[in-house]
Amino acid sequence: MRVVIDQDRCTGHGRCYVVAPALFSDDEAGFGQVVEDGDLDEGHRADADRAVNACPEQAVSIIIINHQEE
Amino acid sequence: MAPMTQGFRLADAPMARDRTAGWRFVRDQGEAVQEVDGTWLLTSPEAVRFAHHHPEIFSSAKAFDSLGSPVPLIPLAVDPPDHKKFRRILDPMLAPRVINEMEDSLRAQVRTLVSNVAGSGTCDVVHDLGRLYPTQVFLTLFGLPLEDRDQFIEWVEAIVENSNKDATAEPAPEVIAAAMGLFSYLQGHVDEKRAHPADDMLSRVLALSGDDGWSNDEVLGLCFLFTLAGLDTVAAAIGFVMLHLAEHAELRRQLVEDPSAVGPAIEEVLRLELPAPTTPRVVMEDVEVCGTRLPAGAQVALCLATANREPGWFAQPDEIDLGQADGGHLAFGGGIHRCLGSHLARRELRLVVEEFHKLIPEYELAPGAEPQVAWPSGTLHLTSLPLVFPAASRA
Repeated sequence: MRVVIDQDRCTGHGRCYVVAPALFSDDEAGFGQVVEDGDLDEGHRADADRAVNACPEQAVSIIIINHQEE
Repeated sequence: MAPMTQGFRLADAPMARDRTAGWRFVRDQGEAVQEVDGTWLLTSPEAVRFAHHHPEIFSSAKAFDSLGSPVPLIPLAVDPPDHKKFRRILDPMLAPRVINEMEDSLRAQVRTLVSNVAGSGTCDVVHDLGRLYPTQVFLTLFGLPLEDRDQFIEWVEAIVENSNKDATAEPAPEVIAAAMGLFSYLQGHVDEKRAHPADDMLSRVLALSGDDGWSNDEVLGLCFLFTLAGLDTVAAAIGFVMLHLAEHAELRRQLVEDPSAVGPAIEEVLRLELPAPTTPRVVMEDVEVCGTRLPAGAQVALCLATANREPGWFAQPDEIDLGQADGGHLAFGGGIHRCLGSHLARRELRLVVEEFHKLIPEYELAPGAEPQVAWPSGTLHLTSLPLVFPAASRA
């Protein structure tokens, strides 16, 4: 599982790093950026879901990595 | 879908005492509904998002033409592609890490305002906090003297009150005098800071040069927009947050016990009680929104307030529920014009609640008080919010 921010949609509401600070941080303009860029374990699932819901622009998404196909 | 009623007017919504009833009345008209004066309201989250995501069709610049401002209201009344240039400069000036640097000063200022009333056992939140604090924050941010606060408030209130009335009417002489007073005050400080830069936002804008440099009118327009959009809106939000905490003793005690719940509670009040419930746009070409065709040139109001109460989106659409505080509401708008001051506004609200609760943890509405919003009005704010509480001896 990975989290990504669609930079074309993000307009800097800054909710992702407020509700899920373990996964996101703020950049110098107040826009969110992914801090945990790699494959996340299921323990981060609740945080990731929270960020997806909290984004007013629907710019945050979760990508499921299928390890069988790697 | 055809509008369900003939003769819909937003002004007829029963808003003054109860926004739940008021916004339900509006949403029940349909997703895209035309007022008798010709303005279209987009009321559902889908319709509002569509407009947010098509700023080239839904012009914000054109929507503010009728205001007749002598200076460009930057960055709100600017469309793509120029808009990006201004936000690229302004966003970092109002980012959370910049506000962190100001927090100690902002906290001390609200503490003083609260201690001024804590000993008396009674206060009017609108008058004693809402009017004063956002203006102090603006003066602090822009590096203007705090002792000018009351004069500043006098000018801004005259102008904002007028803009909430019929925009087509000729402004009264005292409104023109207030606008002139505010402009010459701001121009004086712009000149002063150009000559003697200090460590504040206004000086930083003035220090920009080359392709990033701003004209004098653009700088004044920015100052003017901050005073029009950033003061009475935060004042109103302070009133709404404190109203709901005064009315919900259990929620208030939860916040006093656990200040980490303050942020979520503020989000829920913002979702339900929007100081700026609609934002204006003008349609630049014929466009279909949720099955309704809007003609080029149509005036549109994006109704954030009804979108935030959409039953299919929030499980308790008309109730405060901290469990849905992370739902991504649209109280600060969306798309490229997302409220520039949203991070600062949220911080101000949190500091007000935290400092109020430190000195005045128990409070309720004054007996007989029936707080209501001025209506009809472009922005929503309580006219008065009298509270009573045990007088604090610490103050």
